[in-house]
Amino acid sequence: MSTQNHFIDQDQLVKEIQERRPEALNYLYDNYSSAIYGSILRIVTDEDIAKEVLQDAFMKFWDKIDKYDPSKGRFFTWMINISRNLSIDKLRSKELKKAQKTDDLGDYVNDTKSAGSTHQDIDGIGMKEAMRGLRDEEKFVLEMVYFKGYTQSEIEKEFGIPLGTIKTRLRMALVNMRKILNVE
Amino acid sequence: MNTEEYISSGILESYVLDQLSQAERMEVEEMAQGHEEVRKEIERIERSIEALAFGTAVTPPADVKDKLASELNLEETPVVSISGNGSASPFLKYAAAASVLIALGSATMAFNYWSKWKSAEGRLSDLVAQNQQFADNYNTVNQQLNDVQDAVAIMNNSAFSRVVMNGTDNSPGSLATIYWNKSTQDVYLNIQELKELSQNQQYQLWAIIDGKPIDAGVFDSGSSRLLVQMKSIGSGAAAFAVTIEPRGGSESPSLETMQVVGNV
Repeated sequence: MSTQNHFIDQDQLVKEIQERRPEALNYLYDNYSSAIYGSILRIVTDEDIAKEVLQDAFMKFWDKIDKYDPSKGRFFTWMINISRNLSIDKLRSKELKKAQKTDDLGDYVNDTKSAGSTHQDIDGIGMKEAMRGLRDEEKFVLEMVYFKGYTQSEIEKEFGIPLGTIKTRLRMALVNMRKILNVE
Repeated sequence: MNTEEYISSGILESYVLDQLSQAERMEVEEMAQGHEEVRKEIERIERSIEALAFGTAVTPPADVKDKLASELNLEETPVVSISGNGSASPFLKYAAAASVLIALGSATMAFNYWSKWKSAEGRLSDLVAQNQQFADNYNTVNQQLNDVQDAVAIMNNSAFSRVVMNGTDNSPGSLATIYWNKSTQDVYLNIQELKELSQNQQYQLWAIIDGKPIDAGVFDSGSSRLLVQMKSIGSGAAAFAVTIEPRGGSESPSLETMQVVGNV
């Protein structure tokens, strides 16, 4: 699962973005938008809002590129954290909460039925297997933190799991996942 | 803390996912500067998150890219030579352009529907999970409420004698209360303050009848219930006491371990 290996070097890409080359934006979008969009969509769940957040995120990558500090981590990490934080902010904003309340469960049921689907949450190749290899409590923490955008203190409050335990479970989830996915 | 312990505490995962406070973040950055293993581990975690993101990627609707380009004033000037060599007839040109447009249009629509369907599925399973969570929470709370209601009924029932057991010299801070119904012989225990025991130990309750200790059952320190029902005790008990015994209880009490005692 090293999808990202055929990409040009992230450092090179950063340099080209800093030089404001239009083709760098093109490249950035073509190669990273779906990974970023997936993580946004899972947090905000609404497609229209996810599109908005995706656009805001890419504008931020482009406009704030000088804020990226390579000594503190990879470019992708910087991008996904910007996207996740934008998504979480969006989710928290009041008008969205209101909109979600008035959503009707019936609509989703019909949509899915008409598409003739079976339940499938994490659809990437190998990702279902990777998640299946995790223990339930590890999967839970990973899902809450990564896919739903919960903060660790929210999980602590809502589910009574101590912070230290959340941290070690999150670690074990990622350690086990990368063993299964062969990430080195 | 050595680096191994530091890494296994899980703080680096939280760092990569941007879930730390400013102070914690600076601490991690300092550790990373000083320790090669920490730096390497951070990069491994970053690559795991990357794999997770690419493994769960969803293609965004096609219109976002155009909007983005126009928003950033980066609209690409199409590299189509307008002059051409003029060999194709205008009709063919238009027909070709039209068919390309139609193909593009239907691909976009197919894509749009596909991603709508995907996101609907995601939302549905989120809702199902949320629902399950609510149901679980409700059951837990309901169970706790029943528990409390039962306990309050017993505590307020005048048929039950209340025997407060205070801490002995072994454990002056300990406190537990017995609710004893002499006619039905029911005995309930309310633990207010008893220390945690090791896995191979248990508390044992004794009723003192005619100066002799009678076993009234064992219990663990960590019970979350307000009242724990113990063995039935008939009339004649003059006092209740709790000792620490090997798991499963003893025939006769280890008096030197007595934690609380109270006279009826």
